[in-house]
Amino acid sequence: MGLIDRARVYSPWLYHLHCGGCNGCDIETLAALAPRFDVERFGILLVPSPRHADILVTTGCIPRQFIPMVKRVYEQVPDPKVVVAVGGCACGGSLFYEEDPDNYAILGSADLLIPVDVYVPGCAPKPEQIINGIVQGILKLAEKGSNRPTKTITK
Amino acid sequence: MSTHIRILRQVLAKYSTPMTLKYPSGVDPNKKYSQIPEGLRGFIERDEEKCIGCRACYMVCSGRATKIIDTPEKRTVQVFHFRCTFCAHCQECCPEEAIKMTNRFELAVSDRNDPKVYANTDLKMLICKSCGTSYLPEKMQKRALERLSEKINPRVKETVIADYKKVEGYCPDCRRARGVMLDTHTKKHVWLEAT
Repeated sequence: MGLIDRARVYSPWLYHLHCGGCNGCDIETLAALAPRFDVERFGILLVPSPRHADILVTTGCIPRQFIPMVKRVYEQVPDPKVVVAVGGCACGGSLFYEEDPDNYAILGSADLLIPVDVYVPGCAPKPEQIINGIVQGILKLAEKGSNRPTKTITK
Repeated sequence: MSTHIRILRQVLAKYSTPMTLKYPSGVDPNKKYSQIPEGLRGFIERDEEKCIGCRACYMVCSGRATKIIDTPEKRTVQVFHFRCTFCAHCQECCPEEAIKMTNRFELAVSDRNDPKVYANTDLKMLICKSCGTSYLPEKMQKRALERLSEKINPRVKETVIADYKKVEGYCPDCRRARGVMLDTHTKKHVWLEAT
């Protein structure tokens, strides 16, 4: 593992993408970033541009009109990247999505469009649950970054 | 003025200790999850002995997370937690009180097919003597008969139970076909009461 990979694992930057849905998961995600739960303990920083990010956090189901934007944001995140789907809508479509008949407005869960690494189910998930998911995402990032075993990285 | 000073004192007392919960690496296991409220709805657990497969949870499920998968041998009642909205409707409507929502909320997984996010219950199905199709879970029929004998009008109880024994083992379609042959009309007890 090079110096850059090591630094990336110890301070992953996070981009928060709200696709659709009811905004509940966004509030919980912001609560996780706030001092009470404080994911910034892990060196995480919320960045305003996907070009600076390592972890992409998507919340909400994906409406059909939003498909090109999600694709573009995913492509803009530099490699190695990890996608964390937060909430029932991003994981499985939940209330807004039905397999049969097909919905004219909603595509469904995030993994129909982009490869998702960690799923955090819940409606809405607790901030602690989101931290759990993001920590799993960091471990995935370490795996992707190099071939070094993840054991040495975990505290 | 004294009230203000009191409030200020309380606020300062609260903020003198660190506010952050060190969640994943908490040292004290009792303090690790200090934020779990009492009514938190998490992973859905189903009591396999109590569940009779009546599909009530499937009918009320708001996120369509509950699925009924029927095969000739068994009926599987499944909850897929990715789709679940944790609304506890299934817990409320369950007639046997088999469903219970636990406090477990750490459900983050990296695979869609992880057994951690599924709650499955398998039930044995009854097979029709005549046509060979499966029609009802064994437990559900047993429980239905129990409830019937509890709640039925005692005057017609004997007739109905005797009729039920005659058609036991047949699927609903075959029962209907044999109604005349076995003398089991559904409204027979009404006619009996009238005479």
